[in-house]
Amino acid sequence: MIENFLAGSATLFGDPFTIGIFIFGVLGGMLFGAIPGVSMLTLAAILLPFTADLSPAQGVMLFAVIYCTGTYGGAITAILFNIPGAPENAPTAFDGYPMTQKGMAGKAVGAAVLCSAIGGVASALVMMSATEPLAQWAIMNIGPPEIFALVFFGLAVASSVGGRTIWKGWLSVLLGLLIATIGQDPVGGINRFNFGYSDLAAGIAFVPAILGFFAVSEIFIQAEKNVSGKYSAPKFNVDFPSFFELWAHKIAVVRSIFVGFFCGILPGIGATLAAFMGYGEAVRWSKDKNEFGTGKLEGVISSETANNAATGAAMIPLLALGLPGGALTAMMVAVFQMHDLEPGPLVFYNSPELIWIVFAAMFYANLSILFVGLIETKTILYLLKIPFQFLAPMILMLASIGAYISRGLVLDVIVMFIAGIIGFLLRRSGYSIPGIVLGLILGKIGEQNFAQGMQMVHYDLGTYFSRPICTILIVAGVLTLLKSLHSAFFQKTKIS
Amino acid sequence: MKLNFKKQISTLALVTGFAATASMSLAGECRVAEASMDKPGGFPDRALTMIVPYGPGGGSGQVAAAMAEAVTELTGVSINRDHKPGGSGTVGMTAYMAAPADGYNVLEHIDDASSAHALDSSRPNPAEDLIPLVVSQVTFSQIYIRSNETRYTDWPSFVEWVQAQNGKATIANVSKEGSMERVIMKFITDASDMQIQQISFDKGAPRYGALLGGQVDALFEQPGDVRKFLDAGNFKPILTVFNERPGVFSDVPTHREMGMDFEPLLRFRGFYVHKDAPSDRVDWLKWAFQRAYCEDSYQAFNDSKFMNVIDSYRDTAGAIDMINAAIVQYRDVYKEMGLDVK
Repeated sequence: MIENFLAGSATLFGDPFTIGIFIFGVLGGMLFGAIPGVSMLTLAAILLPFTADLSPAQGVMLFAVIYCTGTYGGAITAILFNIPGAPENAPTAFDGYPMTQKGMAGKAVGAAVLCSAIGGVASALVMMSATEPLAQWAIMNIGPPEIFALVFFGLAVASSVGGRTIWKGWLSVLLGLLIATIGQDPVGGINRFNFGYSDLAAGIAFVPAILGFFAVSEIFIQAEKNVSGKYSAPKFNVDFPSFFELWAHKIAVVRSIFVGFFCGILPGIGATLAAFMGYGEAVRWSKDKNEFGTGKLEGVISSETANNAATGAAMIPLLALGLPGGALTAMMVAVFQMHDLEPGPLVFYNSPELIWIVFAAMFYANLSILFVGLIETKTILYLLKIPFQFLAPMILMLASIGAYISRGLVLDVIVMFIAGIIGFLLRRSGYSIPGIVLGLILGKIGEQNFAQGMQMVHYDLGTYFSRPICTILIVAGVLTLLKSLHSAFFQKTKIS
Repeated sequence: MKLNFKKQISTLALVTGFAATASMSLAGECRVAEASMDKPGGFPDRALTMIVPYGPGGGSGQVAAAMAEAVTELTGVSINRDHKPGGSGTVGMTAYMAAPADGYNVLEHIDDASSAHALDSSRPNPAEDLIPLVVSQVTFSQIYIRSNETRYTDWPSFVEWVQAQNGKATIANVSKEGSMERVIMKFITDASDMQIQQISFDKGAPRYGALLGGQVDALFEQPGDVRKFLDAGNFKPILTVFNERPGVFSDVPTHREMGMDFEPLLRFRGFYVHKDAPSDRVDWLKWAFQRAYCEDSYQAFNDSKFMNVIDSYRDTAGAIDMINAAIVQYRDVYKEMGLDVK
């Protein structure tokens, strides 16, 4: 493995043009990942035709690098302005933005940079050492019932994130699940709650909903404070987390690497579920559950470690089996095909040099996050010095553009503002915005896999329990639910 | 309920299936003589926008990219692709119908647009509300099993095994209401007297992974989409849903050979412009897209997708015939299936 890695590194850095492509991918991924509405997918779609003029290794490497740095890029705006650059950065905002409000933006951004790099590098190392056996294991053992069970397990902890009481946390999650049912059902294609409006047939898109619930509702809340004279600007601070602060979260980092990797390896799942599951597991195992959602460093660490840990993992089913884990890896298939190649088992035998230059590039791209991210952080934090009356319109404008250009639909801008108003009212009443977003995103994934799983087990729910992984996850989820109910009934736990 | 398959073989349906069979020898041939055409009134003097109602990584995204590249190679005119996925193509179609009908906006769509209109006539009719510029991909479906499968190895043993499972056997496909996949599976299961549970996966990766990992027993798909698994020896076809054996699948029986007497529904992807676009611009667009089909880059793309196995090309008139045939056929089938045809 080391010999192949060194050979891949030598090829990567032995040619100035290839180095240029690598640097372009690192910076482009970070930039497009950070701008709401556009994403690394936008950049990849723009670049796709041009990859025909590159060598196969350069083309696939460019996309792999964009995937790594783009997944990290959205964390910055999530932390500084409550605007997640992409759905996989949404959990980062749960605690990252409250940290900014407390004058701890430097620590949050620093942790995001470092943990993105750690998650990505660890994932790349596992990817390099065990791609084929891991892919075979995942494909043989994980089907729709297991993915549904995983989502159920993730949702079970959601009630304790961000709500004033557990009941309000659960109501928030249920609202998110309800919103997730808008649009065509994932199996039969039957329209639900679209009121004859065809644009709603595709359901509520993640990007405008996230922008509304997070960014727009936050603007409204800050505007209210401004009007009532209670507004205080976030304290400017560029202090990075100390080594000891990060070392104290070593278990959270390792756990998130495992969670992110596991989610990433599942075909069609990817980094978004990884980030939410990583965050959810941090809450589940924490002794201070009530501090999540209020600016806890562990929340940022868990989310950002997990989503980048999914990047290397998502390459495993792609390269070993030809099964893309998400939209960007699906576009990588197109890059392969433009060069008369197909990802899958044969590519290891037919084009080993391509595989190892991609592996090496992903490793170095994740390392680059550390260095470029730290430099970027020292400069971008100065945006916090902009007065609210100038910053708020800029954020609203940016969010509106982001909501519109993700699908080019005015509906999405309307959805964003409605979500903003709902979010504003619900936050004032102690409901959980993270819970709503969690329900929305996991609800869509969960419903689809539940329906597919039910078809597979011939609508006999009991058959779910004949599958060991499925059983373990469902039982763990039920126990978490019972514990949550116990807290609600007997301990009158107040959170957040 | 058994369907009256013979009723399905309408005159118009013959245009779809038999014409494709008869013209297999024309696959990949260029049928536009003019190598160039003057731009009418300078049109287009800026980039075109192509609305694609599906994501960039799927079959539609890929054919849109290949055709856009070929048109640009041919004419020098850039094409910006605007992906609007969702609602089985509904969102993209709605957005397109609301876009200016000035010729600068074109649409990529698949046979789903025809079946959607067949089910609900208030949806745009691709043969009347739009003008087909070219249909550049026409393909058939097959049923696949794992190559290392031991429970069954061919179609007769598969049918026998499925019948013995009393409805417990599973097949992965896209089985949304009224979809081509669901209709053909209805034909097949009725004709073969077997019950099989269809598992609907709307994305390719989980669908193919389900067969690779043994989560399902078989897969319904088009050959171009699973070519890498065929080349790698992971999957093997056991039934071709087409009237004749295509050359590259000469060892795979067709549904007719296996005693199933129905007209196959085909998957087709094409490019359209709004019917109200200026006629001189439409003529230029027809030439550009039909001639772009002949470009080496596009032909190489179609070859890589098994899209030259049968005749994948329809000019405007041919496309209208095919769409009209498909609509009539789908509508008849929907009525027989008891669906609410509006």
